[in-house]
Amino acid sequence: MIRLENLLPRAFLTGIMKMVDMAGSLETIYWMQSIGKELADIEGPGFEGARADSDIVYLPISPFGNEVVEFSKIYEENPAQFNSVISTMSKLKGESDAPWEFPAMSHVLDVLQHSYNQKRAELAGTRLYNLGSKSPLGDVIQYNDEAIERAGLTKQDVAVMLEKAFFVYFIEHPEKE
Amino acid sequence: MNLIEAERLYENSVRILKRNQHENGGFYASPPGTRYPFIYPRDHSICIYGAVEAGLMNEARKGLEFILSSQKPLGEFSQRYDVDGNDASYKELQIDGNGLVLFVLGKYFKATGGSFFEEMADKAFISKYWETIEKAVQFILMNKNEEVDLIHTINSIHEYPAYEHGFEIYANCACCAGIYAAIDMGKALEKDVSAWEEQADIIKRAILTRLYSPRRRSFVKCIRVKDKNSKPIGYDSFASMVHDIDAVEYAPAYFELISDYDIKTMSTVRRIHQELWDSEIGGLNRYPEYWGRNNGGYGPWCHFTCQLANHHTETNNQDMAELYLDWVVNMAHDYTLPEHISTIERFELWLEDYTNARILRDSKVKLIDDIRAHPRWQDGLAYVTIPLIWPHAEYIISYRKYMGKFHSA
Repeated sequence: MIRLENLLPRAFLTGIMKMVDMAGSLETIYWMQSIGKELADIEGPGFEGARADSDIVYLPISPFGNEVVEFSKIYEENPAQFNSVISTMSKLKGESDAPWEFPAMSHVLDVLQHSYNQKRAELAGTRLYNLGSKSPLGDVIQYNDEAIERAGLTKQDVAVMLEKAFFVYFIEHPEKE
Repeated sequence: MNLIEAERLYENSVRILKRNQHENGGFYASPPGTRYPFIYPRDHSICIYGAVEAGLMNEARKGLEFILSSQKPLGEFSQRYDVDGNDASYKELQIDGNGLVLFVLGKYFKATGGSFFEEMADKAFISKYWETIEKAVQFILMNKNEEVDLIHTINSIHEYPAYEHGFEIYANCACCAGIYAAIDMGKALEKDVSAWEEQADIIKRAILTRLYSPRRRSFVKCIRVKDKNSKPIGYDSFASMVHDIDAVEYAPAYFELISDYDIKTMSTVRRIHQELWDSEIGGLNRYPEYWGRNNGGYGPWCHFTCQLANHHTETNNQDMAELYLDWVVNMAHDYTLPEHISTIERFELWLEDYTNARILRDSKVKLIDDIRAHPRWQDGLAYVTIPLIWPHAEYIISYRKYMGKFHSA
């Protein structure tokens, strides 16, 4: 059941589907990234989440998890538009000279979340890499191999962290390089 | 009271305060490698207050520079920061941080002036950060509900939305006192702060009426409301009153909004003592055991015990002031203070509750190991998070007040 006061999260997820239908998945990615960056500017520099040590940040709770799970129950599986965004993002990563910059996509909302997190890290004078993620449904785990390598870790290290987290990030400090 | 031990605890508290300030200015909540190696504006602010009281003005100034430079674009101070001043929060808005930063900035400003305020007060510092001060006040007022004239918050001092989501007393008092401090600073700089004066008076009046229960003769904890802009708030899905006892119902006097001699304060403090003084191990609990969020086991907290000691000192009740402060001195271990103290039995009860309910987080494993490994475990006591810097800062404040009142040369 939905009440008007709870409409916005579901409206945004529906909006992603409509946006893909209207403008395609690439434009939808740019649209979500611009929203993430705008919100990051309002929020300012920072790294949201728990810290395993000074450079590893992880989210023990999935942001928007409740909304994503509810939405998935309505559609039973990811809508085709979500899958289209995920595969387009994967293609962009494959063509990029800096694949470590991309999110480890386990859900369509990772585009928004990653652009927000990266921008906030950039405002803090650092770079943030998404090493791995687990979907709020717990059924998909994704890694960014290039980001893991850049962080000097192994996939196994990230897998262990993903047992207690939904997202794992690495903070790179340019001035320490 | 054992004055020699009390003095030694004071001296070590000053040392701990100095030792736990990062070179960038932030006071750690607990030392690196322990439970809270971040900078929490709430703890950090009280550390600055403690530094001011101990005469550590350079440390206080450095602490203020750190936090004032870390303000978020909208004027908020985050729940916590890393040592570089980057937002590292993992919880929602805790607006009392805004009030506290302004409140202790005011303490610093007054202390720099002392008896020669006009000539000596650090106006250059206040002037440098005036825009930050303005934004901090504006952020507080952005969260004011025009129907009840109180500040809305999700978390407050206990970081426990179940009892603090809405119009909560500690957050409101901190914010109101923070605005008053900003007003004083603004006047010293000859700024027009008349609009803030009007707002602060309105909020204060609301605290003293809406958050006070004449029949209970006590301040109450919270008007629980989910959304700050619910209108009318009576239709908000959370709309209810939290009138359970909480040590921070002393906040109106702690933040100097009303006198310790005010009958509202006197009767609230009596209720706090009756319901929260721990009959088994002494000291003051923070809220009732049945709230059910007692990490490490239910038990008394050093910094709330210190806060209430201030009331008894202020009202010239030496016996009660010593009952409270003496407990803190006696419970210190090697002149260090924990967050709170529990018993083995209560610790095990908490562990059983949280394990059975599957709400024991991984991060608590270290806490549990540390409690069991602490030497006082052999005495039947669970020392939770030791040292915590905040109670040392509160002790500095309380000890100075106590000595100034009862043992001044």
